[in-house]
Amino acid sequence: MVAVAALAIAAALPLAAGPHLLTAMIVALHAAFMALAWNVAAGYAGQFSLGHSLFYGIGAYASTVLYLRLGLTPWAGMFVGAALAGIVGGLLALGVYRYKVHGIFFALVTLGAAEVAKGLADNWAFIKGPVGILLTMQNAPGDFFFLRREPYYYVALAMLVAMIVISLRLERSPLGQYFLAVREDEQAAEASGVDSYRYKTIAISLSAALTAFAGSFYAQFYLYVSPDTVLIFEPQLTMMLGTMVGGAGTAFGPVIGSLLFSGLGEALRNLPFLESTRGIVIGSKMVYAVLLIVVLIYLPGGLITLGRKGA
Amino acid sequence: MAALLDVRSVSKRFGGLQALSRVAFTVDAGEIVGLIGPNGAGKTTLFNVVTGVYPPDDGRVVFRGEDVTGAAPHRLCKLGAARTFQVSKPFATLTVLQTVRIGALNRIPDMAGATVKALEVLELMGLAGKRDEPGRTLTVMERKRLEMARALATQPSLLLLDEVAAGLRPNEIQDMIALVRSIAAGGVSVLIIEHVLEAVMRLSARIVVLNHGEVIAEGRPAELANDARVIDAYLGEAYSLA
Repeated sequence: MVAVAALAIAAALPLAAGPHLLTAMIVALHAAFMALAWNVAAGYAGQFSLGHSLFYGIGAYASTVLYLRLGLTPWAGMFVGAALAGIVGGLLALGVYRYKVHGIFFALVTLGAAEVAKGLADNWAFIKGPVGILLTMQNAPGDFFFLRREPYYYVALAMLVAMIVISLRLERSPLGQYFLAVREDEQAAEASGVDSYRYKTIAISLSAALTAFAGSFYAQFYLYVSPDTVLIFEPQLTMMLGTMVGGAGTAFGPVIGSLLFSGLGEALRNLPFLESTRGIVIGSKMVYAVLLIVVLIYLPGGLITLGRKGA
Repeated sequence: MAALLDVRSVSKRFGGLQALSRVAFTVDAGEIVGLIGPNGAGKTTLFNVVTGVYPPDDGRVVFRGEDVTGAAPHRLCKLGAARTFQVSKPFATLTVLQTVRIGALNRIPDMAGATVKALEVLELMGLAGKRDEPGRTLTVMERKRLEMARALATQPSLLLLDEVAAGLRPNEIQDMIALVRSIAAGGVSVLIIEHVLEAVMRLSARIVVLNHGEVIAEGRPAELANDARVIDAYLGEAYSLA
């Protein structure tokens, strides 16, 4: 019932919102999707990747390049991007876990992998290096291009709903239990018959593929892909802030956290004393950092634990 | 009939320490075998080698007729050898039911079936009332029971128990003895490391005594209680079986 009501409200929102607010809501839904995609690896399986911008970038570039070079509709291209990111993530995981890289070192290696990818993209003429690739604004729903914002809003909403459903199904599946076991204690997981190497790799691969869908959406919505927009730390930060503040390892925590941060970002944009763009960026990052620290100290399980205590 | 577990001349060295040297023994189907010896004798190392935590430097481990030397722990569990840890490793943020269900998924890869099996094991282990508690909130006794429940839920043919009676109060030890007996009565072989002599002497049909990584004696509890080497290395004085 709550889910149906929430969905009805979300579906009706564009009717009341102006273009600016609508854009903000699209960004928020997109952030929530990314957070949940990262949450599959970091939240459920405990594999704290800092390199998810790499998979986001793969998604953004794959659908864009396939469309421009081969005329493949991005609706299909985003699935190719997801498959590609899943393979890259899986191979990365196979290599990294082979050498028993854990915890903070795993985070650093994945961060490094994303940096290497940015370096490669900057120097790869085929994808126009640091200049980036522009897509043309057009009315072509079959190719995932819209002139109005409403369709983008509904696509973002549909993607988020699908992602929540995937998360909930994962929580209730054997695969999800193996992820949890590996997160809690690898030795005990192994002693319970769980192949930790295999399931950590699957977690990264699955999470990478899901993240790539967000990258493709980004490309279609902003109509511009470059190393400096998709292969930087920013997407990773968006995923982490929402997940950690909302509640890692849950299907709704990352959504709550992401919507909160997106709303906060909007609110800060309108503060009178932050006149320059640079001021907004620096000012909002300071607020984010403080919020993150406060939540992690007082609510280590994230905001979602507030609801549980009340229940 | 071949032994369920056949440890053949296993050696393991950590740097300058010979943790295990040419250790050999067997566990037959339906048997409870005790493994005793002073601290540092190599008991837990032997468990770790048998369950694939690390490979032996030399020797073979054969389980159910299959050479499993150096096989990963999850492989051993799939084949039917489940262990508990001396320092219990509860899945801290998962509930008791979730934890035991993960074990049950080893043989029953669907959630509903695994849940039924987990609840059955929790009932047997007297943890049914704690099913929704997170692992970290359990007492020492409950954690040991949870370890055993998780292992048992994997439906092993051999259960390796690492000091499940240590740290328990006398009445809890009695409960634990009864519990291990009922598990064995269900057709599961048990290899048990134990410092609580009362538990291991009363439970085991056969006991293997380790000292400095070597098997120094093996036999029925009554025989070992008067064995000079065992008394000297471990018991300290003749142990009278009550």
